Amino acid sequence: MLKVIAACGSGMGSSQIIKMKLEKVFKKLGYQAEIYHTNVGDAKSQANNYDVVFCSESLVGTFTGSKATVIGLKNLLSEAEMTEKIEAANLPK
Amino acid sequence: MFKELVEKKHYSFHEGFDDWRDAVRAACQPLLDDGTIEKEYPEIIIGKVEELGPYIVIAPNICIPHAERGRGVNDTAMCFMKTEKPVSFDPNDPDKDARIFVVLAATDDEVHLNNLMQLSETLSDEAVVEKLLQAKTAEDLKAVEG
Repeated sequence: MLKVIAACGSGMGSSQIIKMKLEKVFKKLGYQAEIYHTNVGDAKSQANNYDVVFCSESLVGTFTGSKATVIGLKNLLSEAEMTEKIEAANLPK
Repeated sequence: MFKELVEKKHYSFHEGFDDWRDAVRAACQPLLDDGTIEKEYPEIIIGKVEELGPYIVIAPNICIPHAERGRGVNDTAMCFMKTEKPVSFDPNDPDKDARIFVVLAATDDEVHLNNLMQLSETLSDEAVVEKLLQAKTAEDLKAVEG
């Protein structure tokens, strides 16, 4: 089970959209993933307990030094971009 | 979705804005007018973007101004705004320009989640986004499916 955080500035808009999209994409790629959505502050403090963090590109810098893989997204609505970045990151199944 | 927004008068059209902060305020104005939000809500959104960067621009051309629930929000709603000229959030990154704005306000989690699901499905359809970019009046907006 892959442990995933979807993060945005507030934890109530973009991060939920990322979560909805990721659920679809992970399923399609054959991953079992547990996705938690929250704001960046909370995500930062919890990131080390997760395998991977997804957020808007503009928030990637917030996670410097984190043990989790951090994936920044340019287009939060693009399943193609998510698929490509998940494949490139070679996440464990 | 857009028909409902027109019926609730949750929409506006503008030429453009030199400052993204004014764009966020204008996008919120219809919600302020009917008491859905308080004056502080757009300022909270602006403060978050100043602190964290333009994370509310979720895709090229698309911005969803929102902040944490609870502060300055009285009801769950969405509000549409379109500008003719792109609004710049980062002068060094044209990918962060936006012309379609959908403000999110939330007090009820379930309604909000439904709104978000509908919104993300709708805006994932490039044909819909194209129609929204062309829309100039409430009638045009009403005619956009989704």
